[in-house]
Amino acid sequence: MRNNIKVERAKNDMTQAKLAELAEVSRQTINAMELSKYVPSTVLALKLAKIFGRDVQELFELEKIDWK
Amino acid sequence: MNYLFPHQYKKIGLMVLIPSIIFGIVVIITDFAPEFLDVKIEFVLSANPFATSNNNLLNEILGILVILSGVVVAFSKEKVEDEFIGKIRLESLVWSVYVNYALLFLAMVILYDFDFLFFMMFNMFTLLIFFIVRFNWQISKLKKTSFDEK
Repeated sequence: MRNNIKVERAKNDMTQAKLAELAEVSRQTINAMELSKYVPSTVLALKLAKIFGRDVQELFELEKIDWK
Repeated sequence: MNYLFPHQYKKIGLMVLIPSIIFGIVVIITDFAPEFLDVKIEFVLSANPFATSNNNLLNEILGILVILSGVVVAFSKEKVEDEFIGKIRLESLVWSVYVNYALLFLAMVILYDFDFLFFMMFNMFTLLIFFIVRFNWQISKLKKTSFDEK
């Protein structure tokens, strides 16, 4: 799954720490998501979308490798 | 519901766990057994219910301390216990169960009699220790590599 968290964060001039605080997760979690090392739960995905004022679909995108 | 202790318990647990492990190892090596902890035990649950034996309570006390504090340290929440930390927790638990039983498997094959019993004495605690070390190592690795980009 591809995500635009880093791009949105830059647009909003937000640090990882700030985003982590708003989303009520650890900074490591934000970092892992940006590096595509972790796929967030639906709840966290919705929270992130809400924080950036976007639709979830604008923030996250399926990739070919997500389909077995 | 994640069955975890509050974050503050981790420090308290560590303050009990580390001295207990060190003292426990010293007791094993030196056979230290202070007299005031000698008691006569009745084997209530043994085949011969009226049998008694002299026992020093120190190893029981240390064993209980290591188990209780080890469980608390292993299963206290991190400062921010979120879903990603939970995933690392689960991975570390699976890893430590594998390693622990791989060692037990090896010990069953290559150790016999009292050597095996001696190994089992440690194996009672190693699952917890392996988990604590692996989980905290993973978390600290993340903290180091996750630099804050603007």
